[in-house]
Amino acid sequence: MNIEDLTIIDTDVLVIGGGTAGPMAAVTVKENNPKLDVILLEKANVKRSGAISMGMDGLNNAIVPGHATPEQYVREITIANDGIVDQPALMAYAQRSFPMIEKLDAWGVHFQKDETGDYDMKKVHHLGTYVLPMPEGHNVKKILYRRLRRHRVKVENRYQATRLLKDTEGNIAGMIGVNTRTGEPIIIRAKAVIMATGAAGRIGLPHSGYLFGTYENPANSGDGHAMAYHAGADLANLECYQVNPLLKDYNGPACAYVTGPLGGFTSNAFGERFIECDYWSGQMMLEFFKELESGKGPVFLKLDHLAEETIQEIETVLHTNERPSRGRFHDGRHTNYRQQMVEMHISEIGFCSGHSASGVWVDETGATTVPGLYGAGDMASVPHNYMLGAFVYGQICGESAAAFASERGEINLDRHLIDQELVRLRAPLERQDGIPPEQMEYKVRRLVNDYLQPPKVTRRMEIGLERILAVREDLKLLKANDAHELMRAMEVHSIVDCAEMAARASLYRTESRWGLYHYRVDHPDTDEQRWFCHSRLYKDDNGNMAHGTRPVAPYIVSLGEEKDAYNQLRVKQAANA
Amino acid sequence: MPLANHHTSVPVLVDEEKCIADKGCTVCIDVCPLDVLWIDETTGKAHMKYDECWYCMPCEADCPTDAVTVNIPYLLR
Amino acid sequence: MKQYQDPELQELAERLASDDAGLRRVAVLDLVDCPEPEAVELLIQALNDADPLVRQEAAKVVDEFESAQMADALIAALNDSDEVVRNAAAHALSDLKDPAAAAPLLAALQESRDPFVVAGILRALKPLRDADAREPARARLDHADPRVRREAVAVLGWLKEDANLPMLIERARDDVDPEVRRAAVGALVYADAAAVAEALNGIVTDEHWQVRAEAINSIGKLDHQQGLDLLITASRDTTWQVREKAADAIGKLRRVEGVPALGECCRDPMSNVRKATIGALGAIADEQCRPYIETALDDPDPDVRKLARWAQSRLSAA
Ligand SMILES: Cc1cc2nc3c(=O)[nH]c(=O)nc-3n(C[C@H](O)[C@H](O)[C@H](O)COP(=O)(O)OP(=O)(O)OC[C@H]3O[C@@H](n4cnc5c(N)ncnc54)[C@H](O)[C@@H]3O)c2cc1C
Ligand code: SF4
Ligand code: SF4
Repeated sequence: MNIEDLTIIDTDVLVIGGGTAGPMAAVTVKENNPKLDVILLEKANVKRSGAISMGMDGLNNAIVPGHATPEQYVREITIANDGIVDQPALMAYAQRSFPMIEKLDAWGVHFQKDETGDYDMKKVHHLGTYVLPMPEGHNVKKILYRRLRRHRVKVENRYQATRLLKDTEGNIAGMIGVNTRTGEPIIIRAKAVIMATGAAGRIGLPHSGYLFGTYENPANSGDGHAMAYHAGADLANLECYQVNPLLKDYNGPACAYVTGPLGGFTSNAFGERFIECDYWSGQMMLEFFKELESGKGPVFLKLDHLAEETIQEIETVLHTNERPSRGRFHDGRHTNYRQQMVEMHISEIGFCSGHSASGVWVDETGATTVPGLYGAGDMASVPHNYMLGAFVYGQICGESAAAFASERGEINLDRHLIDQELVRLRAPLERQDGIPPEQMEYKVRRLVNDYLQPPKVTRRMEIGLERILAVREDLKLLKANDAHELMRAMEVHSIVDCAEMAARASLYRTESRWGLYHYRVDHPDTDEQRWFCHSRLYKDDNGNMAHGTRPVAPYIVSLGEEKDAYNQLRVKQAANA
Repeated sequence: MPLANHHTSVPVLVDEEKCIADKGCTVCIDVCPLDVLWIDETTGKAHMKYDECWYCMPCEADCPTDAVTVNIPYLLR
Repeated sequence: MKQYQDPELQELAERLASDDAGLRRVAVLDLVDCPEPEAVELLIQALNDADPLVRQEAAKVVDEFESAQMADALIAALNDSDEVVRNAAAHALSDLKDPAAAAPLLAALQESRDPFVVAGILRALKPLRDADAREPARARLDHADPRVRREAVAVLGWLKEDANLPMLIERARDDVDPEVRRAAVGALVYADAAAVAEALNGIVTDEHWQVRAEAINSIGKLDHQQGLDLLITASRDTTWQVREKAADAIGKLRRVEGVPALGECCRDPMSNVRKATIGALGAIADEQCRPYIETALDDPDPDVRKLARWAQSRLSAA
C-alpha cells in the first residue's frame, strides 16, 4: 500500500489523545472559532480514556483566591523542582487555574463545597492551601464528552497516531496512524496539531511483573514522546523521572491528598511518620526510598488510628473513584484499614510532567519547538501540572492552535515520510514469524528496571543503553497476528525510543538533582555552576539522539524569604547520599 | 522462530446469561481503554480476549446488565 | 412516530420504537453518541418507556445531556416507580445549575410528598441560590425525614441570608439527627460571629464528636474571638480529632491567651494533635510560644519537627 491508495482527511486542527487535556483543547478551539474543523483522535474511546477514566479524588494544585496566590504557587513549585522551571509557563497555569475550576464547576463537575457553597479547600502543605477534594468526581469524562458533542467535534476513536507529518518547510502538517481494530492506516492533514497523549507510563516494569499494572493508564505508552522526537521537537529534562509512592502490588496512589486531610499518613513499620519533605517531589521520594530500604521499612499507609466514621468516608472515596478496584485488592488480602496498615512501595519509572517535570518542551503558549505543534498535559514539560494543569494547558493550546490554523495557507505534505511510515506500519503484519510484541516489551522494560531505575550508576546505565540498543535492532523482527497486536507492536517502538531517551538523558546530566528522580550515586552533588539549566534531547540533522542545554528563563517571581522557609520544612541535611 | 501457545488466566469475567451483546450491546467493548474485550465468535457474548487489563473498571461500571466482574489479575492478588 | 432529518437519529428513533425491550434498551445506550440536539426528545421518550429497564437505562444517561432541556421530564422521573430511575433523575437535576430551572423545581416541590423526591428537589435547588427557595426550605426544616431536613439546611446555607440564622441555629442545636446538626453548624460560617456566638456555646459540647469538630471549625472560620474559652475547653476533649481542630482554631484566632492550652496539647500522645498545635503556635508567633516550639524541634514525628522549624522562623521574623 502506498499513499496514492489512501484518502487524506483534512482538518484545521487535529488533537491527538482524548483523555483530559485533549477534549479541553478540542472544545476550546471550537469556542474560539466555531468555523474551524476539529478532529479529536484517540487510541481508545474518548468516553473512558486516559488517566481520569473513572474520575479523580481531587485537585492537588488548585490556586483558589483566599487560600493561595499564583505568585506563591510559582515560588513553591520552583523550589520543589530545585529551581529548574520555566516560570512564565508555571505562571500561565497559576493564573488560569481558578477560572478553569469555575468553568468546570459551571459545566457540572463536582468539587467539594462547604455548607454554604464555598470551595472546601484542604491544607496539606504547610505554606499554601492547594487541595480541593472531589469525592463525587466520577462524572468528569461524561461532562467532557457532553461538551464535545455540543460543539460537534469530530471524534475518531480507536486510532493510534504513530508519526507526525511535516510540510516541506518543516512546519507541522498532520499525522499518520492506524486503526487498532482493522489495521487500516489513516492520514490526516492539519494546519495545527495539539498533542495530549499523556505520560510515558510503560517504560518501566511494575514490581508485580504484570505489564499492564502500571501507575499510568497503559494506553499511555509514550507514543507522543516518540512522535514528537521523530518530528524534531525538543524534549526537556527527561532524566527527571516520575517515580510515585503506591500501594505495594496495587497501582493505586498512596492518596496522601485524600487521607492526609482526614488524619491518615505514610509511616514506617513502627507506625511513625518519617517524611520530612513537604511537597510531592523527588526529595520526598528519596526519603521514601531510603526508609523502604532501611531497617525501619517497609513503608505503610496508616489509617488504623482513625475513627470509624472517618474510615467509612475514606473507603467511600477510595473505593468508588479514580482506582475503584482498590477495595477488591484489599479484600483479596484480607486487609482492613481499621486493623492493618497497608503496605506501600514505589512505582516503576516514567516520564510525566503531571507528577514531575519531564516532557516535550513547551512554552507558556503551549508551543513546542516545531511550528504549529502544541503539547498539553502529562506529555508536555510544564512541571507538576496534574489534572487541572492538563485542563489549563489544553485550553491554552486550543487557543494557540486556533490562531495558528486561522493564519495558515496551503500545506504541502512531505510524501517521503508517509511512504516510510506505511512500510513500518505494515511490517509486523507481513512477517510470517518473529517476536511477539509482548515478549519484546517485557524484555526492554525489564532492562529499564535493572539498569535505569534510580539510584543511577553510570556504568550500569551505559550497559543498559547498550542492551536497549540491542533490542532496538530486534524491532524489525516484531510479528503481529492481528490489528490489536499491531498496536502493541507500534507501542513497543515507542517504548524502546523512550527507554533510550531515559538512558541517554540520565547519562547526560552529570550531577544529582530532584531527589530520587535523578540521584546519581557517582555524581552525588548538585552542581549549580554547570547544571542550573534545562537539558534538551532532540533528533539532530543526521537522525541521531543529541543533547544540549537551555538556560532557565529569568524568574518573574523571586524566591525571597520563602526559599528559606521552605528549606526549613525540607530535610535537615540534603541528600546524604 | 516458531511460536508457542501460552495460556493465561484473565481477570475479567462476563456472565453470559446476563450479557445482552446479542441485542447489539457493545458497551464494555467500547469503553475499555486497552481494547481487550471482544465479542466471542462462538457465543456471541462479550469476553476478555487479551490479558492486558488495568483493572480500571469502566467495563463493569457501564455494563447495563451488571454482567461484568473485574477481578484483580492473578499476579497481583 | 416523528421523522428525523438526520439519518442516525432516524435510525435510533426506529430502534426505540421496536417491540423488543432489549433492542430499545441498547438503542438508549447509543443515543449518547448522537450530537443532534433532538436526541434529547428521544431520551425523554425513553424515560417514559413502558419497560422499567429501558427507563433505568435512560435515567443512567440523563447526565450526558444538557439537562436544562429536560427539566420537566426529570422532575416527572422523580416520581418513577423505580428507585434507580428516581435516583438518577435527582442527581441529574442537581446538575442543572440553570436559574431557569428554579421555577419548575419549586412547582414540583409543592406537589411532592415522597421524602426521597423532596430531598432530591431541594438538592437541585441548592446551587441555584434562588431566594424563592427560602420559604419552601424553611417549611421543611422540621420534616419527619432527616434527609429532607439535611437538604433544607443546605439550601439555606447556600443562600447565606442573615434572616435564616435563627432557624439554622435551632437545627444545629436541637435536631435529633447528628448529620443535620453537623450540616447546620457548618452552615453558620456565613454569619457575623456575634450573631451566632451564643448558639455555638452549646453546640461545641454536642454529644457527637463530628458535630463538635464542625462547630470548632466554624469558630475558627468565623474568627469568633469570644469563642476562645470554648476552644480551650475543647482542646481537652476526649476525642483526638476534636482536640486537633481546637488547636488549629486557636491558631486561627491568633490569641496569646490560648498558648498555655496549646502547651498542654504539645504533649498529646496523638501526633496529629501535636502537629496542629505547633502550626497554631507558629501562627500566633509570640515569645510565650518559644519553649514549646523549641521542645517540638526534637519531637519523634517529622511533621511536627518541620512545623516547629517553620514556627521558629516565624518567631525570629516577628
Ligand atoms: C492513578 C492516577 C491518579 C491520579 N490522581 C490525581 C489526583 O488525585 N489529582 C490530580 O490533580 N491529578 C491526578 N493524577 C494526574 C492527572 O490525572 C493527569 O495529570 C492528567 O489527567 C493528565 O491528562 P493528559 O490529558 O495529559 O493524559 P490522559 O488523560 O492520560 O490522556 C492521554 C490520552 O492519550 C491517548 N493516547 C495515547 N497515545 C495515543 C496515540 N498514539 N494515539 C492516540 N491517542 C493516544 C490515551 O488513550 C489517553 O486517552 C492522577 C493520575 C493517575 C494515573
Ligand atoms: S456491556 Fe455488558 S451486556 Fe453489554 S456486551 Fe458488555 S457484558 Fe454484554
Ligand atoms: S478493567 Fe479496564 S482495562 Fe480491564 S477490561 Fe475493564 S475496562 Fe478494560
